[in-house]
Amino acid sequence: MGNLWNTAAAARLLARLKETYDVYAPIRFPGSGCYSDTDTVRYGQPDSFEEIVWDKKSDYSFKETLLPISDTILYFTESDTRLPEPKKPRLIFLRACELNALKRLDEMYLHNGPADSYYQQVRSKAKFILMGCDRSFPSCFCVSMGTNKAQGYDGYAHLSGQELYLEFTDASLLSYTEGLEAPAASQEVAYVTDGQEPVPIPEHLPEDIALNPLWKEYSGRCIGCGRCNFVCPTCTCFTMQDIFYRDNDQAGERRRVWASCQVDGYSDIAGGISFRKDQGERMRFKVLHKVYHYKNRFGYHMCVGCGRCEEVCPEYISYIGCLHKLAETGGEAYE
Amino acid sequence: MSNPYIPFASEIKAIIPHTAIEYTFRMGYVGEVHPGQFFEVSIPKYGEAPISVSGIGPDYVDLTIRRVGRVTNEIFTYQPGRTLLMRGPYGNGFRTADYAGRELVIVAGGTGVSPVKAVIDYFGTHPQEVASLTVIAGFKSPADILFKEDIARWESQMNLIVTVDQSEDPAYRTGLVTKYIPDLTFSQLSKAAAIVVGPPVMMKFAVAELKKLGITDEQIWISQERKMCCGLGKCGHCRMGDAYICLDGPVFNYTEGKKLLD
Amino acid sequence: MYLDINTKKLKKNAFRVSKNRGETASRVRVPGGKCSAQVLQQVADIAQEYGNGSVHLTTRQGFEIEGISLADVDKVNERLQPIIEAMEINQETPGKGYPASGTRNVSACIGNRVCPFGNYNTAAFAKRIEDAIFPNDLHFKIALTGCANDCIKARMHDFGIIGMTLPQYDPSRCVACNACVKGCDQLSVDALRMENYKIVRNEEKCVGCGVCVTKCPTRAWTRSQKKYYRLTIMGRTGKRNPRLGEDFLVWADEDTIIKVILNTYRFVKEYIDPKAPGGKEHVGYIIDRVGFTEFKKWALEGVELPPETIVKDCVYWSGIHYR
Repeated sequence: MGNLWNTAAAARLLARLKETYDVYAPIRFPGSGCYSDTDTVRYGQPDSFEEIVWDKKSDYSFKETLLPISDTILYFTESDTRLPEPKKPRLIFLRACELNALKRLDEMYLHNGPADSYYQQVRSKAKFILMGCDRSFPSCFCVSMGTNKAQGYDGYAHLSGQELYLEFTDASLLSYTEGLEAPAASQEVAYVTDGQEPVPIPEHLPEDIALNPLWKEYSGRCIGCGRCNFVCPTCTCFTMQDIFYRDNDQAGERRRVWASCQVDGYSDIAGGISFRKDQGERMRFKVLHKVYHYKNRFGYHMCVGCGRCEEVCPEYISYIGCLHKLAETGGEAYE
Repeated sequence: MSNPYIPFASEIKAIIPHTAIEYTFRMGYVGEVHPGQFFEVSIPKYGEAPISVSGIGPDYVDLTIRRVGRVTNEIFTYQPGRTLLMRGPYGNGFRTADYAGRELVIVAGGTGVSPVKAVIDYFGTHPQEVASLTVIAGFKSPADILFKEDIARWESQMNLIVTVDQSEDPAYRTGLVTKYIPDLTFSQLSKAAAIVVGPPVMMKFAVAELKKLGITDEQIWISQERKMCCGLGKCGHCRMGDAYICLDGPVFNYTEGKKLLD
Repeated sequence: MYLDINTKKLKKNAFRVSKNRGETASRVRVPGGKCSAQVLQQVADIAQEYGNGSVHLTTRQGFEIEGISLADVDKVNERLQPIIEAMEINQETPGKGYPASGTRNVSACIGNRVCPFGNYNTAAFAKRIEDAIFPNDLHFKIALTGCANDCIKARMHDFGIIGMTLPQYDPSRCVACNACVKGCDQLSVDALRMENYKIVRNEEKCVGCGVCVTKCPTRAWTRSQKKYYRLTIMGRTGKRNPRLGEDFLVWADEDTIIKVILNTYRFVKEYIDPKAPGGKEHVGYIIDRVGFTEFKKWALEGVELPPETIVKDCVYWSGIHYR
């Protein structure tokens, strides 16, 4: 059971939630797109529920709410090392594909090697509100990836017309609704189940798939900008940076920032050695991670089929197209 | 909740220069550590650098550092008595038990000697634990030879071949390490074991030469050097296929190692 | 049958005196170079019915319908009416064609409707200028270009308007990928450098082209909400002293530019040589005569400049002097 919220009641609810939580949702940043007079839809803190963007897939995923793009992990003074203040709990509105991506982030940050304390701090206090999907957006293929449905959310939200339905399954969240006037209602979770073009997901690839000539094509096409990684909800790589403050070189910080396996420098080690110089190799490294190597390690695919990489590539390199090509190389080996 | 990114301070006990740009820093450390593991060594505000363990003592580890960047440049200005920050050890490292009773051949090139140096030291001083020990170490030129003092000691402890790519000086053997592999002999091929560490191309050709002798993949171990930002399986830079070098490596039996592709 | 044509009126009505006796050509304005496909069709119809079937695409982005009989001018004007209305051209008497031709069509590159580099809607701004200045018999040439690439060659105009954006940097979104630094170096003026893994912009050097914004993969660089323009002045072609326009205002806004252009019309009315042949003296030559300082006084009268606008104290032109 949930409730239907009119603007006034929803505003009071949001104000209450904000006392405890930083509330994050996909919102519009007017004029902030790559090109002039274009907007970006990405995660931010809405001032009202009306600001949440429902009719478009966010250009950037929710991951920056848990893993900031540039995150200071240690502060240095002349003699001392200090940790950053813990972050305020977060309440995050996200779609089914992204909730599936959360499992991938957890896999890397909590289970692959020792747990990452920074991620754990934010993650353990975060609440997740699933945004119902009435229909698919361009390039979505969650149905093919099996990520159209999700589990482990603390609440469900759905907008139809002007009508906002909110259902908190988490008891602590439910308490925020007390005394607010919102008619009770009940809605099934809206999932996309059809209307998407199926994408072939390779279950078995030939062992020598890395040597397949199909990767060569990307050498001359990819410009190595890294957009595909930065918009991806499951890409988790980062690079460490140490700096001195410009106005006080006795103090500084160590931070980690998002990294992209497509951008120069990603694999460089001391002495000028770079392991994947060619963009075709980098494309192979990325794609096989999403639909092959990750699964070898963790037992399920990394890619959640959100299609953001497909939409963002300035060179029209189609990840979905690449999956089709992979399917062709597999021949009968595919299921 | 423990924070794996917080480093500990370690005192520089001694500095042993090898070449103009390669010194060994003897760092205070007590704890379990294996040859071939690595530490993230850092100076606050300069950054971290992954450095493999080149020697192990009761209360120290040796870290052989090449001066090639912002962090290592700064480390080279430090004197004994000062402290560096470290986290680790990370990675699996070499397990001496894997080579017990074997006719062990170690082929190492350039800075690749560092991660196996503690293995060489160990079997050099515990010769009874291996059937035989041969070390082929290659460097670019006489000026690039690392661990000269150790090498002098190794001469009497094992079958040692130190070679340089090129030199006019007749005192040095010349040629790539691969040149000396075909001459290796084993009394019992099934007891042979080989460790190969060095630049990617060198490892590839050295393994090929070893296999020509009849040594199988199971008998070969390699150590992979990759970019490591975290050492914790998080940052992703060191991944090769489905392996994280910092967690699953850097040492791999070649049956696994051969599958790893950048 | 005789032809008694007032050529001055004919030209003012945007018809040309052709080299072919008895023939004229109709010049259709297309502000900002943007018109509907329907207008294109209407132009084609006129060319087929009254012209010789050929249409010249002018350098100023107009159409010149060739081979029209001078006897058909009135009928052609009637047929031009839907075109004039579709493009909302200021007109004095409906059905009588264009009321002036001295001030040329305001031309523009395709701008941000299509081009990734365009910093604004060039056709929309062109139309705004057209509305403010047309009809006018004074000989002015104005062109607008979306970015510092200046594909329309705005710098060869009396007024060249070059789109700019004041790049906004959010260091918390920067991953130090260097794409902006490389982009600025390779495609623009090398105004960016990395310091402490974050970007420092050389404000003096930056031309506001927006390449950093288009290259940024994380939205660390975004465009300013406010649109900015570089106003270049008094570029020209011609017999005596062809030259490129020089910067007058940098980081100016739309309103300022329109005011400066309107002020310049007043300046020209004040100072134009009354004995100039055909009443035509180009504004650039007038400024050459009376001096930049006097022009500037007139141009900026009543203009409230945004604080970020840079006004050039002195402007010196070069170019080739044939006289």
